[in-house]
Order: sequence, then structure tokens, then C-alpha cells
Amino acid sequence: MKNRIRVLRAEHDMTQEQLAELVGVTRNTIISMEKNKYCPSLKLAYRIAHIFGVGIDDVFTYEEEIDGPSSDEE
Amino acid sequence: MKRLTYLTCSLIVACMVAAMVGWSMAAGNFLIPVVAIPLGIIVILACRAQVDVVIADEREKRIRSKAALRTLEVVVIAGAIAAIILYSYVVSIPLTPIITGKMFLNGDGTQSMTIAEYKPGSAPGPQTLVRSTTIKDLNAMNESEAMTYCTYVREGFSENENRGLAGTVIGCSLAALLVTFGAFYLYYRKKY
Repeated sequence: MKNRIRVLRAEHDMTQEQLAELVGVTRNTIISMEKNKYCPSLKLAYRIAHIFGVGIDDVFTYEEEIDGPSSDEE
Repeated sequence: MKRLTYLTCSLIVACMVAAMVGWSMAAGNFLIPVVAIPLGIIVILACRAQVDVVIADEREKRIRSKAALRTLEVVVIAGAIAAIILYSYVVSIPLTPIITGKMFLNGDGTQSMTIAEYKPGSAPGPQTLVRSTTIKDLNAMNESEAMTYCTYVREGFSENENRGLAGTVIGCSLAALLVTFGAFYLYYRKKY
């Protein structure tokens, strides 16, 4: 799952700490998401999209090759 | 309250509870841990409620659940191996010391018995002999000789029995761990 959190954050002139506080997670979680290391829950994904005032599809992009049924989340 | 303050408070409370439990054990008062441990947990939970920053989010919970599952897998596998190895000292013949008793008919008509202990898994012989004792008159065994005989047999097997006991304890602990895991698994499967 790819995401545009870093870009949207820059557009809204927001720090990782501020975004983390707004969506109720730690800064480490934002860092992991921006590095595409952590795939957030649907609830968190919606919260992030809501903060930026965009749809969830504008923040997260599902990729069949990476996120397909054969992908291993480990 | 900041995260660091909360961690400091938790550490202080944990140290105080540990000190109180240690002191009560030394003093033989078993009522103090029953009060101190739940009280410590309540204080830590109260401190946690005062924290105004996010301590654990969904990523942290996922990390913890995966770490817990991996820990369970490693502990169960390693523990099962350890339990089997340790318990085998009780049931395995090659790992058990060989204790033999030989009776002799003396010239005066009395019977004597020589008890000998040999190294585990070895053929009885002078090279493998660990120790031996002789009861001169079996029919007139005095208290001292009887005690020697009992201690001798008990000491011969005590090391293996202790290992077997450790194996049993590990096995029972693993069973309890798996039962607890199974209970929580069923609970959460029903919940979600």
C-alpha cells in the first residue's frame, strides 16, 4: 500500500508530530507509514484522509502486486 | 503528564512493590504482597489515565501482539524440548544410575549385602563404580545402617529426580500457558 501522507503533510504545512496528535497515534506510526513500512487500519486511514480533507483513495493507493492475496504482511 | 514522567512513576512504583514483596517474604508476612501488588497496579493505571500523549496506538498493539505470538511459539517449542530432555532422566534407563545389591552368605551363617552405585549407562565394573557400602549382617541391620541404606538409594536417584521434577514443572507451565492462550483465542474469536 503506497501513500501520499508526506506530500499532503507538506501541502498542509504540518509536522509529523502535529498529524500524529490529530489522528491519535504516535509519531513513530506516522514515520512508519510514510516509509511504507506500516499499513494502517481502515479507521486510521479514514481519519488521516479526513484530516487532509480528501478521499481515502487520494491518500492510499492499493497495488495488486504488493498488496495482493499472496502478499505476506510479516 | 508526559510519557517520561509516567514511565518514571511506573518504575518507582514497581521498585517499591518489589522491595515490599521482598521484605515481606523475608519477614514471613504473606499478606503484604496480596495488598501491595494490586495497589501498585492501581497506582500505575491511575498514572496512565493522567498521560495526555498517546502511549500505545494500533501499530504498537500490532507489534505487541506479534511479539507475544512469536514469544509464545519460541517458549513452547524450547520449553517442550527442555521438558522432554529433563523428564527423560526419570524414565530413561541409560540415563539412570545403576544400583546393584549383592547378598553374600557369611561363614557364621549371617547374610551381608553390598550395595554399589555405577555410572549411568555403563556396565557394572570396577572402572564405572561410583561408590559402594556393605551391610554386614542383613538380619540384624541397625538404625545407622538402615539410614545409610536409605540415604544411599535416595541420593543415587535424587539428581535425576530433580531434573524430572524440573521437566514436569516446565511441562505443566507450558500446558497452563497454552490453555490460557486457547481461552483468550476463543474469547477474541467470539468477540470479532
